[in-house]
Amino acid sequence: MTVWTRLLVGLAVLGCPVAARAQALPTGPIEFGDGRVTVSGDVSVGYGSNDTGAYFNYTDYDHSALRLFRIDLSAAAKANDHLSLLAEIRTENIDYLEPYALYARIRPWTSRPLDIDIGRIPPIFGGFARRSYPNDNPLIGYPLAYQYLTSLRPDSLPASADELLRRRGLGWLDRFSIGNQTPEHGVPLVSAFSYDTGLAVHAGSDKDGGISGGVAVTTGTVSNPRVTDDNSGRQWAGRVQVRPLFGLVIGSSASWGPWVTNGASQAAVGASNSSRFTQSAWGTDVEYSRDQYVLRAETILSAWRLPILSAPTLPASLWAFSTSLEGRYKIAPGLYAAARFDHLTFSEVTGSTVTLPWDAPVTRFEAGPGISLQRNLLLKLSYQHNARDGGPLIQHNNQGAFQLVYWF
Amino acid sequence: MRSPRRTARTQRCLAVISVVSVVSVAVVSERSHAARNGTIRGRVELRRVPQPTERRPNVNDLGSAGPRDVPDLLRSVVYLESAPRGAFDAPEGGRAVMDQRNETFVPHLLAITTGTTVDFPNSDKFYHNVFSLSKPKRFDLGRYAAGESKRVVFDRPGIIRVFCEIHSHMNAYILVFNHPYFAVSDDEGRYHLDNVPPGTYNVIAWHEGDSSEPRPVTVPDAGAADLDFSIR
Repeated sequence: MTVWTRLLVGLAVLGCPVAARAQALPTGPIEFGDGRVTVSGDVSVGYGSNDTGAYFNYTDYDHSALRLFRIDLSAAAKANDHLSLLAEIRTENIDYLEPYALYARIRPWTSRPLDIDIGRIPPIFGGFARRSYPNDNPLIGYPLAYQYLTSLRPDSLPASADELLRRRGLGWLDRFSIGNQTPEHGVPLVSAFSYDTGLAVHAGSDKDGGISGGVAVTTGTVSNPRVTDDNSGRQWAGRVQVRPLFGLVIGSSASWGPWVTNGASQAAVGASNSSRFTQSAWGTDVEYSRDQYVLRAETILSAWRLPILSAPTLPASLWAFSTSLEGRYKIAPGLYAAARFDHLTFSEVTGSTVTLPWDAPVTRFEAGPGISLQRNLLLKLSYQHNARDGGPLIQHNNQGAFQLVYWF
Repeated sequence: MRSPRRTARTQRCLAVISVVSVVSVAVVSERSHAARNGTIRGRVELRRVPQPTERRPNVNDLGSAGPRDVPDLLRSVVYLESAPRGAFDAPEGGRAVMDQRNETFVPHLLAITTGTTVDFPNSDKFYHNVFSLSKPKRFDLGRYAAGESKRVVFDRPGIIRVFCEIHSHMNAYILVFNHPYFAVSDDEGRYHLDNVPPGTYNVIAWHEGDSSEPRPVTVPDAGAADLDFSIR
């Protein structure tokens, strides 16, 4: 079954008359076991103009974010006041069903807002990570930092600056001469689509104002979350969030961890100790909301350290910096307009003949309305303009898309 | 889970009140012109006790959500399907309050007459966003801080489902009547529908989107008629 056949099946499930069908579906979470088990879901069907040839919207699951049929089922099972199990299974374009999250949440003291999560846990880094579900995202596309695939891979490394510069803009399908030679996608700055595995501790409550935050130690990194470790170390990540005013949330995140796989490290420098080759990331996010509008801004700075091999050599770190500005305004009950501006830029690398950013900078503008057909059935329309400064692929495109989101 | 078919039926019932009832009860009303009003009283039995809507298990959240209040889901509304003449004279615009307190609308069920202004204060330390997409009254109050309040005037009869955009488990009902012959039961289902002119009426009990079949009752002169319901 092709992707489009699957999408048509998805449209038929939600299909016309959309609202009439959706009224027969659940409108809230389903409960079992005297309320101890709660299941909720998100189903989204998106269709947009063709991104092939430009690959601006490809995700680390090799799908276009604008052409996605996604089903999420989330469940929480409360064993007692101290222990809950949380899980999420998801399928994209009905390829396969995979548990994206599966963890135990322990609350040692019921009266204190402190939780310990163990397992495949939600990302602690960044602001957008908390609202990556289609229902929480006012637009169809994602911020570049969380979705756009850079040319870097943890398992395939460039031998020189020249080789890295030749692969500018080709993050959707990439390979270098050191390590894994199979063409695969690169990594985003921060993955919005995968959960890492490890342990996190959170303290504080978002509801009561003041400060909340947490730290996590996991097997992967923010750009490459993993179930099993593929190198010699753990990532440490932390986040602090403050609410100095009603409606104002300021968050700051940081992470650090070995990023290059043992295999690539062995191939590059002859040693499997890859702890020197790390990804470090810092993020700041601000949200202010009042009345009918919500404004958000987020910046992320990421630095990857790669083995320095042959001349012309790479600098000690490759940097990427993203800026995202987002706004949503509710025009009338059940109708909003949203817009997002994104820019992603990269540090410069000097090759044999030129000095250029190590990947092609990208700018994106996306805007569109959201229409609530009913409370839990949302139709989003979107116009998106993308521009890439360099690389062999299409450098500019304009895309239109719609997305139907149902949740319970 | 709600029954959309029953909800639609109830909405139809409310919508046709103003058209049908003046005609159907005109004779009764004239006969009772000089009579003293009476009471309909009884109990609404809920065969299945409803459960409050749980929070969605959003695995993205960092940390557990704190405790919240549980809405009072035991109350029902009992109303006359057809009301006496004069009942539709423009009712005075009253005032009512639906608070947002510890992630719960209080009260969960509000019954008012058309023209009533409902205040929606925010008594929590965090944002709520009250809205409704119900046809009789669509509104979206946006986000406002603790201690602030916004108001809505309900000028058309019908059933309005109220939600919070930020907390999906928060919901409430507002039933808007264009006559005053309705009563909200207490937690044990007991109701008193007072000041009803003597005559024969059809009475309906409504609870969380489900309604009973109309049941006839005769209100005596200055007396009380007993009428119990069992729904769900």
